[in-house]
Amino acid sequence: MNINPMDQPVDVYKQLKADFADLNANSFQGKMTEYVKAGTPIVACNDDFFPELFAALDLPYYFTVRQGLEGAFHVGKGPEAVDGYNELGGSSSLCSLQKAAAYLLARGLLPQPAAIVMTSTSCDGQTAVNEQMSNYKPWAAAAKISLDASFEKDEASMVYLGRQWLQVIPFLERATGRKLDWDRFKEVCEESNRQCELLFEFQELRRAKPSPVRAEWGFIAYMGVRWAACGKIEGTAWLERLFATTEQRVKDKKGIDGITEKIRYSWFDILPCWSDKLFPRLEQTFGAVNLVDLYGYNAPWPVIDTSTKESIFTSLAKRFLIGNPMTRQIFSLSSVYAGDAAHIAKNFRCDAMIMPSHVGHKDGAASHKIVKDMFRDLGLPFLVVGCDVFDERYMTPDVVFDKIAAFFEASGLANE
Amino acid sequence: MRSGIQSPVYDKFAQLAGTLLNPSVEEWKQQGRRVMGYFCLFIPEELFIAAGFLPFRMRGIGSCGTAQADAYFDSKNCYFVRHCFDQALTGQYHFLDGLVVGTGCDHIRRIYDNWQHAPLKTPLLHLLNHPRTMGTPEMQGEPMISYYRAQLARLKERIENEFGVEVTVPRMRKAIKLCNETRRLQRQLYELRKADHPPITAAETALVMLAGTSAPKEQYNNDLRVLLAELVASPGIKRDYKARLMIVGPAIEDPNFYDLIERGGGCVVVDDTCFGARTGSAVVDEMSEDPLRAIAKFHVLDTVFCPKINGAHVQRIKVIADAIQDYRVGGIIGQGYVACDPWGTSYALLGPHLKAAGTPFLRLDREYVSTESGQLQTRIQAFLETVGGQV
Repeated sequence: MNINPMDQPVDVYKQLKADFADLNANSFQGKMTEYVKAGTPIVACNDDFFPELFAALDLPYYFTVRQGLEGAFHVGKGPEAVDGYNELGGSSSLCSLQKAAAYLLARGLLPQPAAIVMTSTSCDGQTAVNEQMSNYKPWAAAAKISLDASFEKDEASMVYLGRQWLQVIPFLERATGRKLDWDRFKEVCEESNRQCELLFEFQELRRAKPSPVRAEWGFIAYMGVRWAACGKIEGTAWLERLFATTEQRVKDKKGIDGITEKIRYSWFDILPCWSDKLFPRLEQTFGAVNLVDLYGYNAPWPVIDTSTKESIFTSLAKRFLIGNPMTRQIFSLSSVYAGDAAHIAKNFRCDAMIMPSHVGHKDGAASHKIVKDMFRDLGLPFLVVGCDVFDERYMTPDVVFDKIAAFFEASGLANE
Repeated sequence: MRSGIQSPVYDKFAQLAGTLLNPSVEEWKQQGRRVMGYFCLFIPEELFIAAGFLPFRMRGIGSCGTAQADAYFDSKNCYFVRHCFDQALTGQYHFLDGLVVGTGCDHIRRIYDNWQHAPLKTPLLHLLNHPRTMGTPEMQGEPMISYYRAQLARLKERIENEFGVEVTVPRMRKAIKLCNETRRLQRQLYELRKADHPPITAAETALVMLAGTSAPKEQYNNDLRVLLAELVASPGIKRDYKARLMIVGPAIEDPNFYDLIERGGGCVVVDDTCFGARTGSAVVDEMSEDPLRAIAKFHVLDTVFCPKINGAHVQRIKVIADAIQDYRVGGIIGQGYVACDPWGTSYALLGPHLKAAGTPFLRLDREYVSTESGQLQTRIQAFLETVGGQV
């Protein structure tokens, strides 16, 4: 794990990926099977809010929708889960990831929680999963709490959510037997502050031309310090190495190995589960590099103010609603969504923007005109694809490739 | 389907329900008065009435397509929203002095963004945050009620400042009483449908309810009292039917949908829909010292919710169980639009629950307009055959 960035092996990113896998294996998610076997109290959540609190409580938690990835799409069972959900008679238009998660839930394949924490974020599909969890009979004995997040992003709305989270502490303590040590919580928050600062800086590095790394690293970095090792010093150390390695590449003006970067674009959504069938082909055919996706976005991560209990939770609310990608973009006005796309286009010096228009993202689908008009004003080629970033059967990677290829050609980028 | 009702008052309701710029709205505007449009049920019309506005519940009636709106919303978005927005883009909502959009679902809240972007020149455009959870029973609606009250206070202040009006406590109290009276009268209308042979059909009831979304409340209440008296005195519709049904789901504007069911031999006696019985499911506390808080509490805790509110499923189960008992419902039809995740997902819970309870359940995904499709008809008829023997 200990690599000096100034003396890097050629496959340093391979090593960083392996170390990320280690971090993940040692995370709550990675050790979930062990917790279940040991009868450790577990918390189920509908979203990836406030990981700092769970880290401080040393309380295993998972967010249900992510299980659609871990328990279905990442193990090659996504289509099966999606079809299974459809047979249950749910919403045919629901996001495939949420379908998969709801299917795993209905089939009793998710860990039994001692407590369920739900918020009204981020999208209709995500909150619909709340109802599935709340009313799943085998989980009837689990303690449940449901919180409301405001669509507003003013101070009062942050205090509103933060204060509700203060109530979650005694709730979790009662339901799980854990006791929050506030000094420990502050330590975790301060470590998390360092991580988010570093995360932001790392995402900033990726703006360099040529791009030092593929877009996937934005998401991996996010997962590393938000999902796998939030508030853990080993997470910070891993991110520091990733940062130092990438910084060196930027200084050396090194782009992605083996690719002559000709077209810089952003895939403004979640990276697809079928990325390997699309992005390498675009790199090889057009020298087109996907710089950044919605999760790898360099969102401003509000600092957690650890001066008082209330300030901690108010700033955690800010971090969740303003910093956390997707929550930030979906649970807000179209102007935030469009503004972030414009920010990416300008700061990453994109030649083109691609809006995948994932089938589950209804709010994004209702913002196309706003984003499209903005890019027309900016004079930047813009494409709406219309695909399912999880289930490739909706629109195959080949068809998506053809659409993007035609777009590059029509906009003159392919010939430059 | 018509009951054969001969009533000028009913004809008036049907006329009001049939168009956006109906005679009531026209008359109101001719008097130089203001109209406030709003999406959805949890936006308090009491506030608008107290400010001197005519509350107008946004609808897509009259829309034949979504050609204009489709530039803003795509096929993944809700039909209701697209048709309403199309009406706005084609100038049908020119009479609005304001529009308040709730943060209910992903589709409706984007109307706010697109209305602003188009831009549609409505003097006031406001996005109102409505809590999307009832919390837990121990919370008793807090802190959601206080937060929503603050949101309402902000809207009230904005209306006062931008239109130079004053929304006083007495005016709010008066408006609450007026709206509660509408709710009570509408419940009486539904009560009549508990009879073996209801005096009014489901399609006619729908028109009466829809008329209430765009008529001045005093006038509507007076007319509804007259209609109720007429209906009480009527013998009821003498016809055989195969099953007494309840319709569940989002907004139904097209009475033909009910006709389709009733022509097939069903008798729709009650519903839980946005423009239907959900409207009058509860009343606002008239005695509260803080009317704004009373309104907030009503919309956070007391009324019947759609599935975009976390916790609504348990409530819906009870509403349905009560309806089965009170209205002697023999089967439930859950309808909705393809893109509606909250309702679509809720049926995955409701279907198995009803099946376990032995209540026949049919789920229908439908278009916003053109509900007279042969496919729907066939499915409804097949359902009625299965339910028929159980009534």
